[in-house]
Amino acid sequence: MAEGRSEAAEHTASRRAVLSGASLVAAGIIVGGVGAPAIGSGSRLGDAEILNFALEMEELQAALYEQALRHAGLTGELAQYARVVGGHEREHVAFLRQTLGSRAKPAPAFDFGDAVTDPDRFAAAARVLEDLGVAALDGQAANLTKPSLAAVATIVSVEARHAAWIRDLLGELPAPTAANPSEGAARVIAAIRRTGYVKASA
Amino acid sequence: MSDGLDRLDRDGALAEALGSLGSATRRRVLRTLAAAGLIGAAGLAAAGAADAAAEPQGDIAILNYALTLEYLQSAFYTEVERIGSLTGETARLARIVGGHERAHVRMLLDVLGDRAVAKPAFDFHGATDSQTAFVRTAVAFEDLGVAAYKGQAPRIASPAYLEAALAIHATEARHAAWIRRIAGVLPAQSAFDRPASAAHVISVVDSTHFIVGRTRAAGMPGFTG
Repeated sequence: MAEGRSEAAEHTASRRAVLSGASLVAAGIIVGGVGAPAIGSGSRLGDAEILNFALEMEELQAALYEQALRHAGLTGELAQYARVVGGHEREHVAFLRQTLGSRAKPAPAFDFGDAVTDPDRFAAAARVLEDLGVAALDGQAANLTKPSLAAVATIVSVEARHAAWIRDLLGELPAPTAANPSEGAARVIAAIRRTGYVKASA
Repeated sequence: MSDGLDRLDRDGALAEALGSLGSATRRRVLRTLAAAGLIGAAGLAAAGAADAAAEPQGDIAILNYALTLEYLQSAFYTEVERIGSLTGETARLARIVGGHERAHVRMLLDVLGDRAVAKPAFDFHGATDSQTAFVRTAVAFEDLGVAAYKGQAPRIASPAYLEAALAIHATEARHAAWIRRIAGVLPAQSAFDRPASAAHVISVVDSTHFIVGRTRAAGMPGFTG
């Protein structure tokens, strides 16, 4: 299948990304080898890798909101958005940490630069990370066991609501397409690397 | 979802069935599901059993259940646009979201082919006649759609169907957030969106009396939406 080939190419790209010193967010899904049978078979190991990937996405989002609320001088509905959504992301982190137990990886260090000091930069960053969060979780759904899929599904639509909300605040279409796109791990990792927000292991 | 409905569905039409289902309601729900071809005689016979007995069995039944919900949503948005009862941002939402719902119908019809259930006839009982009624109903529909897809996602066997269902699921969540903001309620009111069983979803739809009949027998070929 052509799909299988492109997935294999993605996995290779992911591995290369880690070897060239990608962030822990990247490492979260790579440890044990993306593309190893573990993930494709929907085994427990695959679940743990994917849930750790989700955890690091949530840590990244939670940190963005927490720091922006402290430093960006947010006002009005943007401040309300950051408070409400930041609270949700913290709950997602707690939920995933509880689910993963001892398999949960520590949070990396983040540096958001002016995305947490300038309201406009913050809104733009939030929009990127929320759209990416939905695409990233949906991109792994078929690799999860059914119980883990059920758990992640309770999060992914909330991320989609966040994405729609911040897009609306920015004057963009809240729902730009009939079918929300999903992204494979390599593209998500590349997108996160491009932000430069993830620095190192805590 | 219930808070949103509490605040928005002041007439109680949609919220009426949100509580625990009585046995009469349960029988009616199961009859509705059976009539739509979503469950067979076994499900109907299990009228007194757990809700799980009423869930659509197998990918085709799940997709037909989704199709029924998309028929309902697309008819709702198409009708409100035809009547022209909306203005401003709400009219824009109806146009764009309606386009998405019609696209969802087409996606599901493409997959199901001649196995697709019939498009029912609808009567929205005034919900498309005013902006207030429209917004209230749209909030309830979109939140319900999110919960409905979430309820079925882990039950879908085919990875391709799962991918399609989740692509729609996230889009419905975006719709829900958008219309909720227009309604003046939080676009995302909780950190976790709960799933809903088919029995629950159908009971809510049933309580609206929006579905008034079937326009053709299920499984008949030649239907193009």
